[in-house]
Amino acid sequence: MFNTIKKIIKYPRLTQDYPYKSIDSSLFLGRTEINPAECNMCGECVSRCPSQAIVMDKTSNNIGINYDECVFCTLCEEICPTGAAKTTNRFELAEKGKSMLRSNTLIIDENNMTDASHEIICSQLEVNIKKIFGRSLYIREVDSGSCNGCDYEINGLNNPFNDIERLGISFVASPRHADMLLVTGTATRNMQLALAKTYNATPDPKLVVAVGACACSGGIFRDTYATSNGIDSIVPVDVYIPGCPPRPQAIIYGILKALDRTK
Amino acid sequence: MIVDQLLIKLTEVFAQDIYTAGAENANELYLEVNPEKILEISSYIHLELGYPLILMFANDEQSLKTGYAIYYVFADRTEGLLLIIKTLVDSGKMEILSLSKNIPSASLYEREINDLFGIVPVGHPEAKRLVFHGNWPDGEYPLRKEFDVRHKPVFAKKETDFTKVGGEGVFEVPVGPVHAGIIEPGHFRFSVAGEPIINLEAQLYYVHKGIEKLCEGQSIERCLYVSERISGDETFANSLAYCQAIEKIARVRIPDRAQHTRVVFAELERLTSHLGDLAGICLDAAYGFATFQFRMMRGWAYGAADELCGMRFLRSVNKLGGVRKDFAAGKEAKLREQLQKIRSELEDTVNIIKANSLFIDRVENTGILETKIASDLNAVGPGGRASGLRFDVRKSFPYEVYNQLEFNIPEHHNGDINCRMNTKIEECFESISLMLQALETMPDGNVLEAINSVEPYRFAFGLTEAPRGENIHWVMTGENNTIYRYKIRTPSFCNWPALCHAVKGNIVPDFPLINKSFNLSYAGNDL
Repeated sequence: MFNTIKKIIKYPRLTQDYPYKSIDSSLFLGRTEINPAECNMCGECVSRCPSQAIVMDKTSNNIGINYDECVFCTLCEEICPTGAAKTTNRFELAEKGKSMLRSNTLIIDENNMTDASHEIICSQLEVNIKKIFGRSLYIREVDSGSCNGCDYEINGLNNPFNDIERLGISFVASPRHADMLLVTGTATRNMQLALAKTYNATPDPKLVVAVGACACSGGIFRDTYATSNGIDSIVPVDVYIPGCPPRPQAIIYGILKALDRTK
Repeated sequence: MIVDQLLIKLTEVFAQDIYTAGAENANELYLEVNPEKILEISSYIHLELGYPLILMFANDEQSLKTGYAIYYVFADRTEGLLLIIKTLVDSGKMEILSLSKNIPSASLYEREINDLFGIVPVGHPEAKRLVFHGNWPDGEYPLRKEFDVRHKPVFAKKETDFTKVGGEGVFEVPVGPVHAGIIEPGHFRFSVAGEPIINLEAQLYYVHKGIEKLCEGQSIERCLYVSERISGDETFANSLAYCQAIEKIARVRIPDRAQHTRVVFAELERLTSHLGDLAGICLDAAYGFATFQFRMMRGWAYGAADELCGMRFLRSVNKLGGVRKDFAAGKEAKLREQLQKIRSELEDTVNIIKANSLFIDRVENTGILETKIASDLNAVGPGGRASGLRFDVRKSFPYEVYNQLEFNIPEHHNGDINCRMNTKIEECFESISLMLQALETMPDGNVLEAINSVEPYRFAFGLTEAPRGENIHWVMTGENNTIYRYKIRTPSFCNWPALCHAVKGNIVPDFPLINKSFNLSYAGNDL
């Protein structure tokens, strides 16, 4: 008992001040950016990108990365002959719309389209939602087919360094108690029904946040017989958090963005 | 040497039935045998020679003019030898003889082959679906070459049939796939009478993403990034196994500095993973103080990873032929300091939790996995070692520089949560010591011997000791530096059935604790 108390006193506070203060991100591998001005349009990175996230338009001399598909492997930086691709330490990447993460516009084919009525209802409710949730939020996490990297990072939100409960946010055991679904993974064939049921079991108003490249777009597992390209083909999504996996701070940023609590 | 002796021994017994024999990559002996005699041959190898069946898979080799082939992989863990028995499948019948009655560990592999290739194991005691759920229609076999990876079959409606336990007062408790904790999806069907569990059936494969099919026809470079994403917290062990296989195929010996760097990363991953497991065990026993101690140490281990490579999950570290950058250069002192900090904190914490009789009472004699069952199911890693199966890939199939470093394999026999926990605690200390040794002996030099092309239709195994145990990958290359077939078997695949046995007779509230003591990966199992 004495030893236990000694330990508790030894480490009084380990929790980082993020998001109230910015965090030292100099060591982080954040998103890679390609500068079209330095690029010679050789197309090497486009053909070798493991998740085919780089788009190039030779006519307008434009090149960019779709961050919803990017797996943050930094291969493009490594193989770029002109040094146009550079990895930054930007990690706060969450956006409310997929188009804000993309360099080329998304072509949505008909069967991927979610029910339009959802979107209308969502936009009407959006203002009310944030009023209702105020400063507290209950989250249910759903893994719909991730590699478990994102899930470990979400678990990391509960560790002494991030301690998400200080922000009034906590994880609950059942979707029936939840305000927000934090979804990881590609919505695999076998999880589609479970994901839809979980969504329906969550009381309105609710928010859905897609965590990681797989949930945003299918990531590296796009287009197989058992996966779908992102969870937005099954449920409507409010915020997309890119990353493979996004770090705990990036997830905090995304959750707060969904609540309009980011600066 | 040993390969030759083994071949002579086998030809003495089965002279007529061995069609071809050839050794590859120093320790892999491939024999093609008469499929009619597979039962006798496999029983001889398993029972007389005492080699466990560690992997079994099929391969569609129709474009190579041989049709479908089945590979049975047996391991001699004392000599570091792999014995691969290959049989061809009659394409008219699409049937194989089931080994499950003689070799229990073959059961799941045969069901997997049945689902993915449509090759029926004749005589299998429980030949139901494994990979596919009720929504998958009959007659679609994704790993056959004619199946297009983008083809999404229509959704069928079938009930999954679970093993029924009869008797008065017996009822079923369904749990999942969406669980109460922040974990991966899987469905558990408990058959219970009162509190004690009579039977547990796990329906997994909710996160089946078709990774093996996805890799076919892709470049060897792209598959490296896919292999990193097989199971998030075993990123490095999986990419290392893949790199090893490709390096064997390309006959490249990677630089010494890269080998040392890989040891540092592999052990850092093990340390991180084990600290997380220990936190999980304490959390599920409602021991908050210890949970946060282990989580704090895990945070420090992640900090060390950030320091080294900027990626908490050690992604983009491995490259074919070495490592991406000289990660350790200039950071040795800082890493050493961090490791010593973790070691002294771990010592203190372990002393505190072991002195807590309430906690030890909860973990001792709970969730016992008997040695016989563990060896029949080929339980691997800390799960197997806690039950007395004292082997470790780092010793039996040494890779990188493990044979130059000193470390012990923990010895435990009781097979309960306490043993698994102690195995992991001892392995944490061994990992820290291994990292310090690797840093100490790390020579100067370059870290990458780039591999740009590989010969087509060559194959090799990559074996690593992942945090959860023996991890085995088999790669066969295709034309133009692509992958023809990539078979992945992570330790979780072997240990899931072992977990289902370990919970029998325990009460339902102890299940989370037993589950955490194994801490298996769903993604690594489901692929």
